[in-house]
Amino acid sequence: MIEREITVTNKLGLHARASAKLVQTMAGFRSSAKLCAKGREVDAKSIMGVMMLAAGQGAVVVMRTDGEDEAEAMDAAVALFTRNFDEGG
Amino acid sequence: MRRDLSGIGASRGAALGRARVRLPHALEVDQAYIDESEVEEELARVHRAIEQVREEMHQLRERLHGALAHEVGEFLDLHALLLDDPELLQGLDRYIRLKRYTADYALRKQRDRIANVFLGMDDPYLRSRIDDIDQVIGRIHAALHQRDAELQGIAGDILVTDAIAPAEVAQLQAQGVLAVVTTTGSALSHSAILARSLHLPLVVGATHALQWLNDGDVIVVDGGTGTVIREPNAADLKAHQQRVNAYKREHKQLNRLRREPTRTLDGIDIKLWANAESREDVAEAHALGAAGVGLYRTEFLFLGTHELPDEETQFRAYRDLVLGLTGRTATIRTLDLGADKADDTGLALRNEENPALGLRGIRLSLARRDIFRTQLRAILRASGYGPLRVLLPMISGREEIRAARALMDEVAIELRGQGHAIAQNIPLGAMIEVPSAAIALTTFIREIDFLSIGTNDLVQYLLAADRNNEYLGDLYSPLHPALLRLLHDVLRTGARHGKPVAVCGEMAGDPGFTPLLLALGLEEFSLHPGTLLEVRRAIRGVGLADLRAQARSLLRAGDRGGIERWMRANTP
Repeated sequence: MIEREITVTNKLGLHARASAKLVQTMAGFRSSAKLCAKGREVDAKSIMGVMMLAAGQGAVVVMRTDGEDEAEAMDAAVALFTRNFDEGG
Repeated sequence: MRRDLSGIGASRGAALGRARVRLPHALEVDQAYIDESEVEEELARVHRAIEQVREEMHQLRERLHGALAHEVGEFLDLHALLLDDPELLQGLDRYIRLKRYTADYALRKQRDRIANVFLGMDDPYLRSRIDDIDQVIGRIHAALHQRDAELQGIAGDILVTDAIAPAEVAQLQAQGVLAVVTTTGSALSHSAILARSLHLPLVVGATHALQWLNDGDVIVVDGGTGTVIREPNAADLKAHQQRVNAYKREHKQLNRLRREPTRTLDGIDIKLWANAESREDVAEAHALGAAGVGLYRTEFLFLGTHELPDEETQFRAYRDLVLGLTGRTATIRTLDLGADKADDTGLALRNEENPALGLRGIRLSLARRDIFRTQLRAILRASGYGPLRVLLPMISGREEIRAARALMDEVAIELRGQGHAIAQNIPLGAMIEVPSAAIALTTFIREIDFLSIGTNDLVQYLLAADRNNEYLGDLYSPLHPALLRLLHDVLRTGARHGKPVAVCGEMAGDPGFTPLLLALGLEEFSLHPGTLLEVRRAIRGVGLADLRAQARSLLRAGDRGGIERWMRANTP
């Protein structure tokens, strides 16, 4: 299992479109993916779960991936956050 | 008792009928339990319902095409993700299996549980996403009871609700809803634009409608003035009848324009081309007296298929288009995949960082020459059956035109060598939608035969504003001085070099923009057949010389407000 702390830096936080991107990205991996914030853990492959975290800009979340392709899954997730979900600007 | 509940007119048309009220979050279900022996059956019911909704959404997506698919697709995608969500599905299974709730009650409990979390959020946008969840849950609930998305038999009724999503507009129209009244919304929203293009009467901002209307109340609605009246009296009914007659007359007058020339008051003929992608569009274009097809989108041949369409398949489609036009010109746009239009053949790249600025249109064609060559062969072969022109999408500069022209010449020689009869002269045109092509037009205008301005993308690229980004509000708007000046430049350059220029974006099909486009020098419009007659009427009502004389004042307008004032002053 890998665990990484990630800061949400995009302007809008994990809103619908960003959540959808994360969920679609994570769905491409075999490993399980969890996202934790504010003492709650949600399935990062669930749009509702991710949206319900309501992690806004500046929030610190913990990403956990577990499985055969956990490293690739983590890289993909981190890249998405780093690129601010391609919101631009 | 009569009550005036009027709002803002957003899409013209009159309706008299029973109200069908859809309350927000209307999943009102009583607590109910099942026996242990019924658990499996109840689980199966829910899963069947979910499967049915998935199928409905899939079919809805298939029915959409062109600009509509672009607008609505994103909502459907979000809803599809929600529908497949493990959080939602496992929660339902748990409620049914462990608590022995009925499927209905499990849905409601699940909805309430999620709603509590959402409603507790600080972010108003995230909070409002409960609407999407309600829509999805509402659909599942409707499917459980074999109803059509909770709108059983709404045909002939007037939907009264808080808001409608763009994804719903086409569906409501197809279901035979007479009109829609919403308590919120704006006449400039995507839903309103879609309602207008589908001729579905819509009143928005009828703030008190939900408070005072019940299912079955008789209401009279006019989407032109925004009128909504409950229990109309004799005078209201008479006014309604007059409006119906007025719309009918208008419709009749419009239909009379089918055979009339598209001529301004001062006798200048303007060319109206049709945008088309289906056989029906082509037939309608023909019936409406279009000059031909100004934009034939070829993407549909590549979408929804797992294999690339071969030369024969493409050839037959293009040949049938040419034959269907019986001598009028067909303008075939080469493949414009990419960005929002992903395909199942794996041709367009996925996960580009910035797909709107990525490998799309001519860029993709030049990167995959095998596919481009096949398409050009098919198009050129079709040229033996009638006049056609080739249009290249997403041109950003001269090199792309030269590369495409070279390949086209090569293919022509090859085809002639193989004994195919192809036209001697096939005009090659460029879409003007990337600002660089518009600005540097003189660097390549001698090398092409015609131009078509795609305002939808040009506005997006020029203003750096994504048309689907809901946070941008009205920033995405063609009413920007930069766009008008650019259009004016392109039209003037085209005229100076004797190259015809058309506009093929949504602007061309909205009669509200007709005087403005004429003033800027446009003489060819390429538009969806649905609004062709309205645009023809608008053209027939103005004098071209008068409008051109006003171009200077239009170009001086400093902002959107100024442009709107010009439009009001110059609309007869």
